[in-house]
Amino acid sequence: MRIVCPFCGERELGEFTYLGDAKPVRPAADAGEEAVYDYVYLRDNVAGVMSENWYHGGGCRAWLKVTRNTLTHEISAVEPAAGAGAAKVGA
Amino acid sequence: MAEFSWDVRSPLDRVLAVGRYGAHGDAGVTLTEIRNFDLVQVMARRGKTAELAKAAKVRFGVAAPETPKAVGTADATLIWSGPDQFFILSKGRKHAMAALAPLRAGSASLSDQSHARVLIAVSGAKARAMLAKMSSIDLHPSVFAVGAAAATSMDHTSVTLWRGNDQADGQAVFNVLVFATFAESLWHTMLDSAAEYGVVVGHSEDLA
Repeated sequence: MRIVCPFCGERELGEFTYLGDAKPVRPAADAGEEAVYDYVYLRDNVAGVMSENWYHGGGCRAWLKVTRNTLTHEISAVEPAAGAGAAKVGA
Repeated sequence: MAEFSWDVRSPLDRVLAVGRYGAHGDAGVTLTEIRNFDLVQVMARRGKTAELAKAAKVRFGVAAPETPKAVGTADATLIWSGPDQFFILSKGRKHAMAALAPLRAGSASLSDQSHARVLIAVSGAKARAMLAKMSSIDLHPSVFAVGAAAATSMDHTSVTLWRGNDQADGQAVFNVLVFATFAESLWHTMLDSAAEYGVVVGHSEDLA
């Protein structure tokens, strides 16, 4: 498997680290125990297209959001995660 | 109390032995450690990328790299190292940490890496074949021309790699910047990879 880093170009899998589902969003401070439990522990086991966090630690050290099909490993999109590079912060 | 003084030496001091190694005949690879350079990591502060670009342009007369490449100036090389960050490589303290206050004022965070990295120049007729054993980057001249750079891994070790100016004889020069504490390990891998082509080992005070 290879990932096309938006900063570096196409690179081998060994340069990247997988962090998991990019979908969970940190709940508001007053969201309650159930929302926090869901955010911290519960994950969908997606068979198909999912959004994932990857870290290009063996390269430019940017965090990436990768859209990948877990059945075929086909990657349909790679974009910088929010905060990757000073110019992209908040984007 | 015993006298104590710092002994400044290269992280490769224990393992780099100047000489000729490996296969007999013409050496296919030359490994040269470049010593005593000034290296500063520059990272744009949040939302200050354009401001940093302007400040860098004023100081160096060229645009700092925004994509993986190395840009040479009269007395420094600016090497891309990641989004909104680059290295300033130079000699003679002119662009060392203390001299870069104008860049530091507002738009960027600077970190002195002069003694935190080891710089190895790889050249010779078999340099590309030898590097192919360690790197998945395509180093063919049609893709990786003079000035091309990459933040990548060699032998599971993060490196900054860029192609410097060709030597007088037309041979390509590949510069590898590696963390000082990983340098010894990578050096052994490089020597092993180069042995079958014959390798000349040395060190130099001059940036390639």
